[in-house]
Amino acid sequence: MTEKYRHLYVVIEHEDGEFLPVSFEMIGEARRLLDDFNSKYSLNEKVVAVILGHNIKDISKKLIEYGADVVIFADNPELKDIRNTIYTKVICQIAQDTKSLGEIQPEYAGEVKKPRYMFFAADSIGRHLSSTVLVELESGLASDINQLVIEDIEMSHQQKTGGKKETYEKTLKMYRPDFSGFLWTTILCLDNKNPAFQRDYHPQSCSIIPGVFEPLKPDSSREGKIIEFTPTIDEKDLKVKVLSRQIIKSVVDFDTPRTIVSFGRGIKENPEQNIRLIENLAKELNAEIGVTLPISKKPYSVNQALDSKYMIPDRVIGTSGHKTSAMLYVAVGVSGAMQHVWGMKDSGFVVAINPDEDAPIKDECDIFIKGRMEDVIPLLIEEIKKQIQIVEA
Amino acid sequence: MVDLFKVMKALNNQINFFKLEVTPTLSDSLNIAVIIKLEPDFSEGNVSYNPDGTLNRAETKNTLGPHSGIAAHAAFFGRVMYDAKVFILTMGPPIADLALQQAQQISDAEELHLYSDRLFAGADTLGTAEVLRVGIEKIQQKMDIVFSGHRASDGETGQTGPQTAWKLGFTFLGNVISYSVDLETRTIRAKRLISLQGSPNVVEEVEAPLPVFISIDPTYKSNYNAVSQRLAFEKYQKEAIQRAQNFKDYLKVFNAKELGVDETLVGLPGSPTIVYKVERVPKSTATRRAEVIDGTDPEQIRKVVTKMKEALSAMVIK
Repeated sequence: MTEKYRHLYVVIEHEDGEFLPVSFEMIGEARRLLDDFNSKYSLNEKVVAVILGHNIKDISKKLIEYGADVVIFADNPELKDIRNTIYTKVICQIAQDTKSLGEIQPEYAGEVKKPRYMFFAADSIGRHLSSTVLVELESGLASDINQLVIEDIEMSHQQKTGGKKETYEKTLKMYRPDFSGFLWTTILCLDNKNPAFQRDYHPQSCSIIPGVFEPLKPDSSREGKIIEFTPTIDEKDLKVKVLSRQIIKSVVDFDTPRTIVSFGRGIKENPEQNIRLIENLAKELNAEIGVTLPISKKPYSVNQALDSKYMIPDRVIGTSGHKTSAMLYVAVGVSGAMQHVWGMKDSGFVVAINPDEDAPIKDECDIFIKGRMEDVIPLLIEEIKKQIQIVEA
Repeated sequence: MVDLFKVMKALNNQINFFKLEVTPTLSDSLNIAVIIKLEPDFSEGNVSYNPDGTLNRAETKNTLGPHSGIAAHAAFFGRVMYDAKVFILTMGPPIADLALQQAQQISDAEELHLYSDRLFAGADTLGTAEVLRVGIEKIQQKMDIVFSGHRASDGETGQTGPQTAWKLGFTFLGNVISYSVDLETRTIRAKRLISLQGSPNVVEEVEAPLPVFISIDPTYKSNYNAVSQRLAFEKYQKEAIQRAQNFKDYLKVFNAKELGVDETLVGLPGSPTIVYKVERVPKSTATRRAEVIDGTDPEQIRKVVTKMKEALSAMVIK
């Protein structure tokens, strides 16, 4: 059967040749999905890693070891810095390059026009790059995905199908947790089959939350194709000059401390006083303080100092923030929404303080202290002072 | 004692007076647009949650999105520093004029544009970006900078900004934490905050010719250091408050026809993606078996702390 769209393209991220972990995670998930896909539909479509940069030829084969079938790389001094305009143009050139699409799997050569699916990382680079690439490719994009399924979907939709029942084959179901963490939304990117405004929407694309999917174990015996793509660089796409790059230390550090104390909307009865209590508890444990996503949206008015110190995105533990594997994690007034749990579930020992025994956090902790934080924290502090002495490094 | 403030103010008036003497050339002016969004108000007292923890949209009030607010502050910086003319734009239902008013009060905008039509409803980011592109291109003046917020606090995709930028053909700069404009060379310098998994944060300084599209980082700050800047700040802030009180005088509402959009590129027809299903996140199987402790019992708390101490075996124990 002639199909215009085939293969799964993964846009790789690296910093001067060092791959970001999310690159391997995306390839791992792509591999798993496409293995199932190929056996289910008796096809031979490929996981294609796309990498841009300068002096990157040698690192490309590592992507094969991690599960890619094909690597398409574009090597050019103008691609050394990641600049949105030129990166978008080159990725789109690659995605529509029928020559390399033909090389990927010769039996499909000539018929394939674009990738079927495309993955990007949901980070400072991939979020924006995916947005601009998908405008240029005139297709749809779902962001911040944490689960993917490919299947045929039969549906009728007022707009998409004109109310008629239609089958959408090989549809990528893209799951994203919503802002509350309690809802999960499935996004589909579907062709308009409605005769009134028929249009193809491919590739079906998404950005993937870093840290969600497992990478494969690298296997140096894996074989694959490495294709060099020579990009067309237009001067007018090089308007941005990078003047300097400076590494800065984040004010919040979730990597080094052994203990993290986090708080959620449970502070609401007396936010300011409760944050002070939590500060004291954290101080006794030499802990960094984390928050849940709703707290970063500044739901309570507290004094400016506490507000700008704690109610900030930088402190969020969860899918839209940091992931931690602290030795001790103390969750205070945290309900345990999925998006938060993802960020803390790798912690060593978890203690939750919550008056509500039905809160989902109960299933994610080792000790559930039932009670109001106003009552529990002072007792805890008193006892910690007796038992634990922190020696600062 | 000399009233320093009065002196400064007089000085500032003189500066303004001097400015008036110079015939403004076209290249001296700066036009800034901000795209904003009306969003659920997540502040306590205004937000309402269902018993299952999901947002109760019917009971929750609406407000200018917090990231939109930051973008409006960035535009106000342009107003104060470069005497920019500010336009605030939004696509939404008629009640979204509330967000325009709030953004005007922050930015001292001279024009507020609301793109409102049933045809726009249900749009994904691509269908929304198309409306905003047409809106921005429809403005008589050519925009030099368009700002958007980092992302909406309800949708949280962060896609509409960069997608609008690409449709406009503007250079896109994301995660901008500060900027300055050189009006003579028509270039902008901006600092961008880049945070990537497993890497330290990087601040990248870039330079680009205008026009540009900027999505503003949540940590963006405006700095007004010079006295003249602070005086201009006060002046425009007063003006902003006055304008916002009469915001309807500055408001223009456009429907699909008035805007002249291609109806197949907006709303549901112009949206590649659909929300197929919204479900409660399935309760995951318990990963741990919690021991439940009575938080008011000091004896039990003592045992908890002992276990915490064991978990932190690397710590020095008394």
